[in-house]
Amino acid sequence: MILNETPVRTSKNFNSNNIELKNFEVPQENNGFLNRNIYINSEKKIMIVAESQEDSERLNDLYEDNKVLVTEITKSDFKLKYGVGQENNPNQFIRVLAKEGATGVAINLEFTFDEENTNLQDAIEIYAEKDTDLDVTISYVPNEEFGEYSYHNGVIKLTALENANVNITVVNLLNNSSDNLISFENKLLDNAKLNYTIIDFGGKNSITNYYTDLFGKNSDNRVNSIYLGNNNQLFDLNYIAHCHGEKSNINIEVQGALKDEAIKHFKGTIDFKKGCKKAVGNENENCLLLSDKAKSLALPMLLCSEEDVEGNHSSSSGKAGQKELFYLMSRGLTEKDAMKLLVRAKFNTILEGITKNDVKELVSNAIDSKL
Amino acid sequence: MSKELLKVKDLHISAEDNTEILKGIDLTINKGEIHVIMGPNGSGKTTTANAIFNNPAYIDKKGQVIFDGEDITNLKTDEIARKGIFMSFQLPEEIPGISVSNFLKVAKGKITGKPIKIFEFKDELKKNMEELSIDPEYADRSLNVGFSGGEKKKNEILQMLTLNPKLAILDETDSGLDVDAIRTVSKGIEMFKNDENAVLIITHNTKILHSLKVDKVHILVDGKIVAEGDRDLANVIEQIGYSDYKS
Amino acid sequence: MAKTQIEDINRNIYDFKKEDNYDYKIKKGLTKEIVEEISKQKNDPDWMREIRLHALEVYNELELPTWGPDLSELNMDDIATYVRPKSKLNSSWDDVPEDIKDTFDRLGIPEAEKESLAGVGAQYDSEVVYHSMKEELKKQGVIYTDMETAVREYPDLVKSHFMKCVPVNDHKFVALHAAVWSGGSFVYVPKGVKVDVPLQSYFRLNSPESGQFEHTLIIVEEGASLHFIEGCSAPKYNKVNLHAGCVELYVGDNAHLRYSTIENWSKNMLNLNTKKALCGKNSEMEWVSGSFGSKISMLYPMSILNGEGARTEFTGISFAGKGQNLDNGFKVIHNAPNTKSVINAKSISKHGGKCTYRSLVRITENAPKSKSSVSCESLMLDDISVSDTIPTNDIRTDEVEFSHEAKIGKISDKAIFYLMSRGISEEDAKAMIVRGFAYPISKELPVEYAVEMNNLINLELEGAIG
Repeated sequence: MILNETPVRTSKNFNSNNIELKNFEVPQENNGFLNRNIYINSEKKIMIVAESQEDSERLNDLYEDNKVLVTEITKSDFKLKYGVGQENNPNQFIRVLAKEGATGVAINLEFTFDEENTNLQDAIEIYAEKDTDLDVTISYVPNEEFGEYSYHNGVIKLTALENANVNITVVNLLNNSSDNLISFENKLLDNAKLNYTIIDFGGKNSITNYYTDLFGKNSDNRVNSIYLGNNNQLFDLNYIAHCHGEKSNINIEVQGALKDEAIKHFKGTIDFKKGCKKAVGNENENCLLLSDKAKSLALPMLLCSEEDVEGNHSSSSGKAGQKELFYLMSRGLTEKDAMKLLVRAKFNTILEGITKNDVKELVSNAIDSKL
Repeated sequence: MSKELLKVKDLHISAEDNTEILKGIDLTINKGEIHVIMGPNGSGKTTTANAIFNNPAYIDKKGQVIFDGEDITNLKTDEIARKGIFMSFQLPEEIPGISVSNFLKVAKGKITGKPIKIFEFKDELKKNMEELSIDPEYADRSLNVGFSGGEKKKNEILQMLTLNPKLAILDETDSGLDVDAIRTVSKGIEMFKNDENAVLIITHNTKILHSLKVDKVHILVDGKIVAEGDRDLANVIEQIGYSDYKS
Repeated sequence: MAKTQIEDINRNIYDFKKEDNYDYKIKKGLTKEIVEEISKQKNDPDWMREIRLHALEVYNELELPTWGPDLSELNMDDIATYVRPKSKLNSSWDDVPEDIKDTFDRLGIPEAEKESLAGVGAQYDSEVVYHSMKEELKKQGVIYTDMETAVREYPDLVKSHFMKCVPVNDHKFVALHAAVWSGGSFVYVPKGVKVDVPLQSYFRLNSPESGQFEHTLIIVEEGASLHFIEGCSAPKYNKVNLHAGCVELYVGDNAHLRYSTIENWSKNMLNLNTKKALCGKNSEMEWVSGSFGSKISMLYPMSILNGEGARTEFTGISFAGKGQNLDNGFKVIHNAPNTKSVINAKSISKHGGKCTYRSLVRITENAPKSKSSVSCESLMLDDISVSDTIPTNDIRTDEVEFSHEAKIGKISDKAIFYLMSRGISEEDAKAMIVRGFAYPISKELPVEYAVEMNNLINLELEGAIG
């Protein structure tokens, strides 16, 4: 299967236009996924899960002034511009709707994989109306000691209207025999602000497509992402941002480390569309190579059709600094511990962005066990 | 000939987001004088200098700037420079690929309107660099690129000496400098100063003033001049700060 | 502030046309008969004719690239691949026919030869019309001649290197080149010989609806050094011309080669050129590249660092104006330990022109302790132009230092204000900043013969402003 096509192609010989997964098959069995927990915190603690489209409409009418609605939606709402989610056949639909003016809303979605729940194809839509303030954490985590194959193909769509302020954390800690496919698609209007934190640790193959449209003036999207690969994990990250609005701002920060024979492909595209005057785009990608068999491929693209913009990207790969290692070892740390500390230091600022403490701890433990 | 060199009348200015930064500045500087503007951060000191230079980054300019008897309020920045005003920047821009010496040669040609005699120019530049303890190699380096904070400031003073304006505005030229560098900058100002020109120093502290004969001190708070006096006022401010003037 | 007006390069010096006054022009198109006819016209030895015919087969099999600029306007049926000028190969300018000599006079070639070059080759359409080198270099065993002579006189050297660095099946236009190649230069610098003064070959395409397919083969033996300059230009016609040259460079152990190119084809040219260098132990390969002309350019010189400690440096600038799509860049393969690459690429887009920087840095498993640093800057001079940066960085081992930085933007308003506060007008300030932007590259370009270009990217500011 060929996935994650870049918006602009380059020479075929560079092997960076897409990812071809060999011996990859979408599991035939799709028995549904029951291990789902939704927690909501908001001024009015109301949560609605509808069984059908009509049901959801009825409930929407009923609770018109509710601050938060969680409703089921249908596949037809999930047309993606890019992404690996076209392949998915959802067995979970969730819509989070923050009504105009809702603030202090915190939502936590947990999907737990175990023997009974191995195939998750979720479609999540987050709709933040004007002047809302929303914090969403979504985690995909296997049950302890569950080491079997699981399949995840998720789609998370976000629409942020004027002045919405949205904070989303997505955590993938699937086991290394699984496949993780996930597509993000965002649409930001004037002054909307979106902070995305993506923790991408799990899966034999972890394929991410992140696509964001900055339509609004002063719209602002920060993506902080970390990946950590060991064994023969493959990460393919395709991040695309289109700046349309004046003074729109995109900041992509991807930090990662690769052990053993892990492979990472990072493809980042910032596309300054005509008219996005005074837009600023930054893209920074750094890969720490912890083994001579690990491989890091990066394609950090800047596309520009507007004069009055500022675009920067930087990308680097290499070993951990020998000076830092030496310094730490001179304080009695073993090389392994010193290395762990350096990787952790690299991830720390991004981990700080996780608002839920239990999730932060989960991620922190995962770093330890992977290293 | 009148002694009056610069007259600023009721100068107002706003930033791009429409906030008014200068709320009516009046200032008169005569030939032969050294003036000082002091004020807390954000009071409009740098804006005053930029407004005199008609920086296009500001909007809603009102009031009048008269220089040497001529209204320069709406002249373009380069025209103002050619009339004989110089500004030492707080944060001088780095311009890759243009050497200090070539840049100054072009600028001097523009300002004097005469062809530059290369050898004379080079000798003078060399002499001034020595006086300011600037490594002669810097003449061939790209303008301000990779210069330390102190080197940038000294380079501004070098430009002032080379271009020899009638009025030099020094915007926080002393900030972030060590004692030796401040001494060098003061020395540059002394070398420059004569009865026919004038200096306007914008500063936070009085160290740079010690060796200079200051004629007038203006205190700028929140876009307005709230007090004026002789150099003793600067000493008072150094002791007690601006709190008395804040509303 | 008003928009910057950076003038086009004054092309008068390049745009004069001479009458299409050839001795022989092959009929348009690309068939086996045509390739055989070219081979016959050129008196190829059998082995060369076989390479050509094989390459034609490869050409027919290969697809057009699926990426980069749109090449659909190229129709090989409209292109004459071989045009022999009315001149034999000469070693004195006096023997070159008047209208051809006049062309090179206007380009300043004989003048530059006298002043600053150790040898010159000049190609007019498909054949080299002049070749000469200083006596002392001949005595040291240096060979500098046209490719046809090399095929005849040094068949072993040519046979063992021709299309070996760049394989025929590399891409479609390499195959095309190998099928119909004509002209170009051959340089051989024996072991230990240092050629201090540059050699220069100049390629002029005069004939409309034709192509130029010169082949440059340079062998710099162990410990030897050379600076080679390549210049090219053509007058403008309404229909497309095609340039599909091929440059193969062999840099021996401890050898040094600097290859400078000033490409100033006319704006109806499709420049689909291939350049590659194989670099031995501790060798040094420097590329300096200025890309100004062409309607479409796809040009990615490549260094393959096969010897331990080999180094390569690429310094390049592209300047795209109205109607131009310059898709340029660099490729490097680190294939041995301790190898090093430094890439410094800049581009300027204006009047709706498009610049793309496209590159590959690959550090293989065989290249521990290698270093690579890439810096890439693009300047946009208006909001109708386009500037894209598409770099691929492929790092396959851990003990490396790799960094890549790219910037895109316009001329800073603050920098303009700073210069204006020193009495320099807005227009001059902008021009000054653009020249400064290009300076790190322009100072590396051989400018002796490119007087007009000198006006655009002037190293020094004196006199050029105002």
